[in-house]
Amino acid sequence: MRSRQSILEIFSTFLSFEDDLATRWIVDGRLRRSIQGCLDDNIDREPSPRFWALYWYQIWQTESLSNAASPRVKISANHLAAYLQEVCYWSAQKLAADLFKKELVSDFFQIAIIKFDRIVSGFNVDRGIELKSYASLAFTNAIKDTLRQRQEVEICTDWALLHKVSQKRLGESLQQLGFNREQIAMYILAWQCFKIIYAPTSGQGLRKLDKPDLATLTEISRLFGREYIGAINCDGETISQWLSSCGAAVRSFLYPTIVSASQPKSASDSSEFLDDFELTVQSSLLTQTIEREDAIDRDNQRSQLQQILLRALIKSNVEAQKILQMYYGQNLTQQEIAIQLATKQYTVSRRLTNARQALLTALCNWSQTTLHKSLDTSVMSDMSLTIEEWLKVHYSHSDPLAEH
Amino acid sequence: MNTLSGLSMLAIPQLHLPIGDDSHTQSESAYSSAGSRWQAALNQACLDGLLPWIQTERDQQAQAWTKAAHRASIWDVVNGSAIDLNGTRLVLIPTTAIDFAELRVPQEWIDLPSWAGDYYLSVYVNLDDREIQVLGYTTHHNLKQQGQYDPIDRTYSYDGDDLIPDLNVLWLSRQLCPTEVLRSKVNPSPQMLLKQAESLLIRLGDPNQLRPRLAVPFAFWGALMEHSGWRQQLYRRRVGLPEQWSMSKWFQTEISQFGQQLGWEMMTVEPILVLARGDERSSTNKILLRQLTISQQPYELRISPTGDNLWRFELHSTTNTKIPYGVKLRLLTEDLLPFANNEDIALTETDRLYLDVHVSPGDGLVWETEPKCDEFDREILRF
Repeated sequence: MRSRQSILEIFSTFLSFEDDLATRWIVDGRLRRSIQGCLDDNIDREPSPRFWALYWYQIWQTESLSNAASPRVKISANHLAAYLQEVCYWSAQKLAADLFKKELVSDFFQIAIIKFDRIVSGFNVDRGIELKSYASLAFTNAIKDTLRQRQEVEICTDWALLHKVSQKRLGESLQQLGFNREQIAMYILAWQCFKIIYAPTSGQGLRKLDKPDLATLTEISRLFGREYIGAINCDGETISQWLSSCGAAVRSFLYPTIVSASQPKSASDSSEFLDDFELTVQSSLLTQTIEREDAIDRDNQRSQLQQILLRALIKSNVEAQKILQMYYGQNLTQQEIAIQLATKQYTVSRRLTNARQALLTALCNWSQTTLHKSLDTSVMSDMSLTIEEWLKVHYSHSDPLAEH
Repeated sequence: MNTLSGLSMLAIPQLHLPIGDDSHTQSESAYSSAGSRWQAALNQACLDGLLPWIQTERDQQAQAWTKAAHRASIWDVVNGSAIDLNGTRLVLIPTTAIDFAELRVPQEWIDLPSWAGDYYLSVYVNLDDREIQVLGYTTHHNLKQQGQYDPIDRTYSYDGDDLIPDLNVLWLSRQLCPTEVLRSKVNPSPQMLLKQAESLLIRLGDPNQLRPRLAVPFAFWGALMEHSGWRQQLYRRRVGLPEQWSMSKWFQTEISQFGQQLGWEMMTVEPILVLARGDERSSTNKILLRQLTISQQPYELRISPTGDNLWRFELHSTTNTKIPYGVKLRLLTEDLLPFANNEDIALTETDRLYLDVHVSPGDGLVWETEPKCDEFDREILRF
């Protein structure tokens, strides 16, 4: 893959795959006109990609509060999606390489880029980490999470899968297959009845759950008949078919058949831009962005924060440091660490939790005593994420993005 | 906009905990359906995994809510468990869903005052690998404000991505921001009369009624659930157990296994003591008793027949210290109504409190103390 160089390209092109290889950058005409308009406008500094990312992020953030469907939200989201293409690619590429499955890069890329909206919503400038670094972590996480679910789907029977899906996800899976609301409600009721009547017995695992016998299916159908409001003929055989459909829907939702991604994908459909949308630069926002960028650069609170965390880290015991290094530096899972240290996964899990607890405590105390910041759950939860991001950045020197 | 949205896009290393051998799946309790038995196994696994960790690593005082013997009556009909930490309650909601898409909390844990918690933990239970994983948590307040209530299955659903992934935040926020609002207001359950309760118990006690919690308006169901005596009766009917609280049976043969699990014992006393009260007709020399802890002090509750349909309830201090001023022993009808002379109060420091009551065969009585004893659950004694 060729890395993009110019601002114009970075904010207006999308990666295209052919035969699972990233081959070229495809230009989105509207995005190109939009960013060109920005560049034509004179601003008294050399605008970096980071600067424009911050600019579009600010537009996205403020506008999506008032009207999430406005064209400005869409165009800013698309600029950001274009900006993050490489980051997403590198996350996908690295994981595929780690798994010795280079052919999965395009699949991984798709898995990750779908989560774009969610990822941007979870970003917070004030946590002191750049959008790019944050997105790299978040994309990687999104892929890993999907892989975890797929792994489980692979070793489960359809009947076990019915116990391994949430009601929410089941509804979404059915919706994706084109069922209407009434049908979905009916299937969900059938699924609820199934869960009441049929479950693994003690000692039997869940993963290998067999198809229920006809007597059990009939029992489920009777319960369904009593609970369903409306007239419908339903016997054990019908129930069996419905439940199979549910199982199949969940399987294909959690583990979709991979379609080769030949089309450039952006987060939302860019063809819906309103034509009368003016691609003018808001100078007030530009000024704001400049101020924001400067503020970030001279933010000594951030370096203080790093000092605090570093000090707390040094104070923690050798075992804790070792585990943190393995988890964040070598990207090992808790299970892999346990094997290397010849201990149980739970011991690793406990130590990791306690090590992070020590860092969080240090950060909270500092913020309370030095910054006189009033703490609440939301602030502390944000700090916990700051620590997470900091740890990942601190320990990962092999990250290809670290050079930027 | 939800300020907590998208929080968990970064995977915080989640807490994995072992659930030991499979002893808990060999639960001795009976359940009214395969789904209930499975639900109970998941809840037991949650407690087995999390409680020891909390006790050793975070809070020694943590204990499971309701005695073990009472839990089957919850798990047979409602998903979820609770751990109490000195006035703060964690509600644990187990799930086997691998998508982590939502925390789905039954309404009982949110809207019943005696059940509601401060924190709600989403716990992934993997019995195949014998471990649990804490996915994150939220508060009662957030569930009420941002959770989506589904009237069809009476649950509050909360987006999995909006959970706070780091359980450390929970302990630290308790310590550093103790005044934070965790709970929203909930309304008390309406008073339910015996007649109503009896007809509900007959209807919902039928094991063919497989979704009892959804079969009647929530207010009625809630009143039944909050009264642990009635909840016990519902459970007993659904799984086909005989009456566990028959006093005549307890005195004539033995205390039911259930009564024993809750700490009731029979003590034989010298007949002379009984005769000394001048009650010639009393042929029994047995006293039913159970240990209680009220405000960190040990007590003994004693029940003994004193004549035809006459019973005495006594509260004794079992140490040298006397019962302090203000402590009350009270009896109520099955539907929690007071009656004449149903209460004894320590007006000065005293050795014992006692009540004599006349009952008709079949009557149910509920005892309580004030302050409430530790691990208090209402019991309906049947005469």
